[in-house]
Amino acid sequence: MNRNDGTSLEAVRLWTLRLFVMTRKELLQLGRDAPLLLFLLYSFSLSVYVSGAGIAMQLNNASLVVHDGDHSESSRELIHRFHEPYFRFDGEVRDPKEGMARLDQGTAMVLLDIPPRFHEAIGSREPVSVQLQVDTTNAPQGLSAAAYAARIVGRFSSDLTLSRLGAASDGTMLMPVVDSAHRVWFNQDQDETWFQSISHIMRMITLFAFLLPAAALVREKEHGTVEQLLVSPITPLQIMLSKVLAMTLVILAATALAMVTVLKPVFGVPIKGSVALFFLMTALYSFTTAGLGLFAATVARNQAQVGMMALLVISPMLLLSGIATPFEAMPSWVQTLMALSPLRYFVDVTYGILLKGVGLELLWDSMLAMALLGGTMFGLGMWRFRRQFR
Amino acid sequence: MKEIGAEDSSQHTVLGPQHLDAVVRVSQFVKRYKKHVAVDGVDLEIRKGEIYGLIGPDGSGKSSLMKAIAGVLTYDGGSVEVFGTRVDSERAAERIKPKIGFLPQGLGLNLYPELSIEENIDFFAHLRLVPDKDLAERKTKLLAMTRLERFRDRPMKNLSGGMKQKLGLICTLIHEPELAILDEPTTGVDPVSRRDFWSILAELLEETGMTALISTAYMDEAERFHRLAFLSCGKVLASGMPAEMRALVPGSIVTCEAHPQLTAIARLKARFRQVESLGSFLRVFIDTADESAARSQIDAALGDLTPSSFRVEEPGLEDVFVALLLRKTEHKGVSEVITDSAVVHDRDGLAIEAEGLIRDFGAFRAVDHVSFRVKQGEVFGLLGANGAGKTTVIKMLNGILLPTEGSGLVAGANMRTAAGSIKERIGYMSQAFSLYLDLTVEENIRLFAGIYGLDKHSMSKRFQWIVTMAGLSGYESSLTHSLPMGVRQRLALGCALVHSPRVLFLDEPTSGVDPIGRRHFWEILTRLAREGGVAILITTHYMSEAEHCDNLALMYAGRIVAEGSPEDMKCQVEEVAGRLFEVVVDQPRRALVHLQQTGFHGAALFGTKLHLFCRDPLRDKASACQALEGSGVRVTSVNERPLSLEDVFVYRVMALERTETSATEGAAA
Repeated sequence: MNRNDGTSLEAVRLWTLRLFVMTRKELLQLGRDAPLLLFLLYSFSLSVYVSGAGIAMQLNNASLVVHDGDHSESSRELIHRFHEPYFRFDGEVRDPKEGMARLDQGTAMVLLDIPPRFHEAIGSREPVSVQLQVDTTNAPQGLSAAAYAARIVGRFSSDLTLSRLGAASDGTMLMPVVDSAHRVWFNQDQDETWFQSISHIMRMITLFAFLLPAAALVREKEHGTVEQLLVSPITPLQIMLSKVLAMTLVILAATALAMVTVLKPVFGVPIKGSVALFFLMTALYSFTTAGLGLFAATVARNQAQVGMMALLVISPMLLLSGIATPFEAMPSWVQTLMALSPLRYFVDVTYGILLKGVGLELLWDSMLAMALLGGTMFGLGMWRFRRQFR
Repeated sequence: MKEIGAEDSSQHTVLGPQHLDAVVRVSQFVKRYKKHVAVDGVDLEIRKGEIYGLIGPDGSGKSSLMKAIAGVLTYDGGSVEVFGTRVDSERAAERIKPKIGFLPQGLGLNLYPELSIEENIDFFAHLRLVPDKDLAERKTKLLAMTRLERFRDRPMKNLSGGMKQKLGLICTLIHEPELAILDEPTTGVDPVSRRDFWSILAELLEETGMTALISTAYMDEAERFHRLAFLSCGKVLASGMPAEMRALVPGSIVTCEAHPQLTAIARLKARFRQVESLGSFLRVFIDTADESAARSQIDAALGDLTPSSFRVEEPGLEDVFVALLLRKTEHKGVSEVITDSAVVHDRDGLAIEAEGLIRDFGAFRAVDHVSFRVKQGEVFGLLGANGAGKTTVIKMLNGILLPTEGSGLVAGANMRTAAGSIKERIGYMSQAFSLYLDLTVEENIRLFAGIYGLDKHSMSKRFQWIVTMAGLSGYESSLTHSLPMGVRQRLALGCALVHSPRVLFLDEPTSGVDPIGRRHFWEILTRLAREGGVAILITTHYMSEAEHCDNLALMYAGRIVAEGSPEDMKCQVEEVAGRLFEVVVDQPRRALVHLQQTGFHGAALFGTKLHLFCRDPLRDKASACQALEGSGVRVTSVNERPLSLEDVFVYRVMALERTETSATEGAAA
């Protein structure tokens, strides 16, 4: 690979020089690509803000219609307990059928049906039930609406019981009641924007770490410049490594931009752990994902194909790695499969460092997994790269 | 056709009076792309039944003009009239489109790779609402004519370049248009397929009375047109019949040898503007058609050097084009600092030594026992059709592909064991020029200097050298994609030479470059070889370029089937096939059919002229003339022509294809 007459020091110098000029070339080329730069800038600034401020997974503003067959003090009391921000009272219907029609049209999410004689039954201590019909087309939202509603009705019922008992005897002390005193950690305000904006940054890192080096490599194939590199003393390792290095630098800069312009000032995300450690991990993750991208680039013939492969590979990664949905909730075969996704480890690392403030002592296994995956993918990419020109 | 032949002697004006049967009339045509003026005031008239040629380098405006005539491109000034309809609106364009067949540039780009030959044809026919009966009839005829019948069901992506091109032609002509517009149909196709294409096209035009407008970047194809226009930078340099174009620049081409060659070149250049070296020969354009005057001018210019093997010929159309271009532009000669004395390579050693190279890809043998030697300071040409194995040979020599068998030394390093050393000692430049178009000239040079491990001092020295050598001063901080092709090509050469390699590999390095750029490039190459002792191995599709090489090897199906200097190669073919004669007749198509029936199988049509080989010139000439006169064809003249390398290539490959076919037929029987 290197001059036979040179000392090993000279060989190392040449090797580094070659890697350096190639990396500089990648950065120069990226710098000339104005549309891509603009896209990158948007993805790590405005788009982070939009998804942080816009995406809400918690139950919010669910439309409620009521069929009140009783129109009594008790029925009004119950209806009032369905309040904002979780539910929005969207009017009364005269007929349960009309309510069902609203569910069908999608103009209401929850239909609460209160039977006649509701108040009377409560007064006479008869058991009485209300009916809830919930549209669960959007399963998570519908299920939480049902759960919230059940809790509201349950609370209404226990309040009634307690007050009745309290009125009858000396109060609640005699009743066996278990109260859950919960305490939330790491995001005390339960501010969803933190989670959403961080997970969006991870999405963008994944996308660009895959796409940038892959596009750069396949562009060299398209333009025939890769041939020129192959007949020069540059090794395939240097060709691929220079792309990863350059693109990782770019991604780190973009991540820093997102943290400085959106995460801290706009959403006030408390960066609890070591920023340096976070960047180190991001670099490792970029390298790992870039390995995957470079592998795809050796298979693809042009940039369009790389784009399609990115869709094919990245969307399951994003959906199943626990970036937005809990990893633990997935079927075990998906969990096993996702052990191969570097994002699965990066999610733990990122939330761990940024929100929990934990360090390497707890995250070393995730780091090891990313490094192993990255090494393997990079190796496979190298193998394909060498092979395709044979 | 008759009428055009008759005009041959009478009409000499470039733009004659408006013809009544003009199919296309373009006047003061202007097309701009943003600020860039692609076509600038072009006048053109195409008459019914003729083959009209547009010749010019990339970016001269050919494609824009053709697209506007086909009604698929709007324009910014002037008028375009097709079949008497002014094409100035979308509606007008729709009116003329049924009568037009348009084949866009790019081999097979208008075809669907997954569809078979027949499905492609059917698709285009249905698109044009060709009735089923006509379609079946035309398909049979066209498939037979192009000899594609056997491959009816083969998907287009599995066809060779020549076959794709023929299929493209069928799909363009399936609705029997009155005007066929073909944009560079022969670019990237090997000489044999190119000739085949021209004869099919001539036959079709003759039969249907169709008119054709065809563009090409190959100068040697100019002779095939009835009339043509030279385009350069969006303007028509000259137009008319080939003979008229020649009359614009009267002169002659002198070929001779003189030693030392470099001194001779320097002396000739002081006096003449077109001086080239072709191997050991010198080729000079002289402004006089008189042979003895030309000779005395050369003698005067050479002084005490005595020219040998002196020959005077009629200039080709390329010479005319270059002369016309030179009138317009001030051509900077190659700068004197081609070589720095520090990097003159030892001229005695062998640069490349290939011994019985074999390379198999699975069951397919891409390269079969290839052996050759190239000395330092030699320009060696590797010729062959696409798929003949040239690129595989180069890859093995470059150390990026291991040979299955055989061995080789490149720049003193063994290609089996020391690929790394080879890579440090060779330069390589490919067809695509392999530059980073989004980097500036300087950034490109610095990148390659870094890749080859140059230190700061030698980097700045080589940088200066490249800028001077390639004439890049003033361009240093321009983005590469904004450079004209010729400059880009020289930059690529500079990058390939940044580390002063001993051996230079050039893989089809001149595609898309204008003739002056090409000559400039060859001048640099010759000096690198002669002065710097660099060994150069080059592959090319342009047979006229192969004449520049000292030695050639012709590859066919992975084997070297002929080798030697260009002169040797021509002599070898002359020995087997005979001498080449050019016959001018009044009815070329009819004459061709008659000649082929009489047994002149090598006869071919070149515009209005015929080329044929005669083993025994006196007897064959007489029998050919007799056969023609007997069938009512008037023979105007019969002249011997020197063989071109293209003739050699086509003859060799056709002969091999014939033996191969008879061998397979024999095996089948």
